[in-house]
Amino acid sequence: MPTVSLVCEGFEHQAAATGRGLGFDALPIALLRGHVDAQSYDDMVAAFLEHTVDQVIDGLTAEIRVDADGAAEPAALDVVARGTIDRIHRTFTERGWSDGLAIIPPTRERVEAFIAVSGHDPWRLIGTARPSGRDITVWSVAVNAVMAGCEPEQLPVLLAIADALVDPHYGVEHSGNTTGADALVIVNGPVIGELGFNHGPGAMRDGAGGPNTVVARWLRLFLRNVHGFTADEHDKATFGNSSRVVMAEDEAALAEIGWQPVAAEFGHPAGSDAVTIARMNSGIIVGSVVGSTPEQILPYLADGLARVVGWDLTHVYGLGQGQQRPLLVLSPVLARIFGRAGWTKADVQQALFERARIPARRFEQLIGEWSNLTAGRRTLVDLVDEGVVPPVFAESADPDRLVPIVTEPAKFVIAVAGDPNRTNAYVLSSDGPHGDWTSKPIDRAYSTDLVCSVSRPSDAAR
Amino acid sequence: MLDMEPVYDVVWPKSRLGAQSRPPAHRLDTLHGKRIAFAWDHLFRGDELFPVLAAELQRRFDGIEIVGYETFGNLHGPNERELVDGLPAALAMHRIDGVVSGNGC
Repeated sequence: MPTVSLVCEGFEHQAAATGRGLGFDALPIALLRGHVDAQSYDDMVAAFLEHTVDQVIDGLTAEIRVDADGAAEPAALDVVARGTIDRIHRTFTERGWSDGLAIIPPTRERVEAFIAVSGHDPWRLIGTARPSGRDITVWSVAVNAVMAGCEPEQLPVLLAIADALVDPHYGVEHSGNTTGADALVIVNGPVIGELGFNHGPGAMRDGAGGPNTVVARWLRLFLRNVHGFTADEHDKATFGNSSRVVMAEDEAALAEIGWQPVAAEFGHPAGSDAVTIARMNSGIIVGSVVGSTPEQILPYLADGLARVVGWDLTHVYGLGQGQQRPLLVLSPVLARIFGRAGWTKADVQQALFERARIPARRFEQLIGEWSNLTAGRRTLVDLVDEGVVPPVFAESADPDRLVPIVTEPAKFVIAVAGDPNRTNAYVLSSDGPHGDWTSKPIDRAYSTDLVCSVSRPSDAAR
Repeated sequence: MLDMEPVYDVVWPKSRLGAQSRPPAHRLDTLHGKRIAFAWDHLFRGDELFPVLAAELQRRFDGIEIVGYETFGNLHGPNERELVDGLPAALAMHRIDGVVSGNGC
C-alpha cells in the first residue's frame, strides 16, 4: 500500500535508515520545515501548506524509482582494513565504526579465539537487530567485544545482553530517541565474583575496576555497529548520556539483610547469573544521608526520586502507561538501616510510594502543558476517569494535591551497590517502554552449538 | 622502528543486512475518489496538522475520503506494538488506498 510519512527537518536520514532496516528503500517522506514544537500555529500551518502538502501528494502518486544497489557491503570474514594499530584506530573512527577511543584490532584470528573459549557457533543467529535489520550473530558480538577490549570469559555476559536487546519487551529500537537515555546493565549472581565485577566504591564509575567498563563499552559499540545507532542513521539524541558503566550488586549485603537481588524481581532467583537492562534518562545523587532509622532516611530518599523524574512522567501515562520504573541504588550502609529494622524491599517500596510525590499541577505541566506529550492536554482527573491511571492520581480535584510518580509501589526498583562505608544513594529515572526492564540468564556452560570447526565455503559469503 | 610495527588485517564490525529488500508499493494514479488514512503517533501537533491536510486534500481532489487517525489509535503509545501489528488488517478492513503517517520529529 502506498504510504508517505511526515518527518521534521533533520530526521530525513533516520527515516531512510528505518525504512531500509525494515526492508524498504526509498520510502517517500514529506518534510515538515523546522520543528513544529517551536513554531506558532500560523507559522506552522503556513509552512505546511507551502512546502509539505505537495510532497504528501507526490509521495502517494509519483512512482518511485529505486536506484540500483549501491556499493556492496563486506562479508563477515572480509578484511576491511589493513594497517598498524594507529591506522586501524583512525580508519575505524573515520568510518564511524568506533567511539574514538583506542580499539583492539579485530583480526579474524583474534575473534575466532575469543569465541572458541566458550565453544559457541560463530554463525548462530541470535536475532535481528532493530532498527537496522542486521543479523545478530555470535560473531558480530565477538568482533565488537574484541574491539572494546573484553576478555573471552565475558562472552556469556555479552550474549545475555544481546538476548535482552532482541527481546521485543525491551524496545531497543528506541535507543536513539531524542531524550538520549542510555542503558544501565545490572549484573547478578556468582558471575560477579568469578569475573571480578566491581560492586563497591565507584560502582557506577568508568575505570573503577573489574570488567564493568569494557562490557559497557561493548554495548555502545554493538548498538553503534549492529543496531545502527549513529548520528547519520538512528541516533537522534539531542544531547545523549555518557555510556553507563555496568553495575554489579553487593550480593553479600543483600543476603545479610534478606533482600532479593534486582534480577529476582524479573524472574531469576538469587544465586543465579543474570543481566538486567533498562534505559535510564537522568540520575542524581542523594548524598550524605543522615539517620539511623528508616523513618529518618526515607524523606530524603523519596525527595530524590521525586526530583529525578520530569519528562519521564510521560511513561506513567502518555508515551507509556504504568511504565515509569525509577531505580533507587542504596549503598550497603543505607540498605542495612532498613534490614536492621526488619523492612523488606516491599516495605521500602510502599513507603516510597506514599512519600515520593509531587503536586498534581506540576505533573500535568510536565506531561502536557510544557511538553505536549499527552494529546489533548488531559488532566490527571481526566486520565483517572478514562481508567488509564489508578484512582490515587485523582483523590480530589485540588491541583496542589500530591500525587505519586509511579502507578504502584512495586514499580520502584531497588538495588544495593557502592562504597560499603558511605551513606549515599543514587536515583535514576527510566525511559519506560523505550528500554523497559528486561532480564536474561547468563549461560556460562561450554556451548555445544559448534559441531564442526572447519570453515565452510559459504562462510566467505557471510 | 615504526616500520617494524605489526600490521593487522581486521574484519568488519557490522553484520549482514538480514531484512530482505522489497520495492515500495506502486503509487496511486490519482487521489480523486480515493480513501486515504491518517496514522498518527499522537505527537508533534498532528492533531493540528492532520485537519489542515484533510481540508487541503478535499479541496484539491474530488471524492477523496479521509479516514482519520482516531480509527487506528495511538501508534506510539502504550499499545504501540499491538496497534502497529494490527495495522495491515485495519487498513484492509477500512478499504484504504493510501496512508499518510506522522509525525516523526
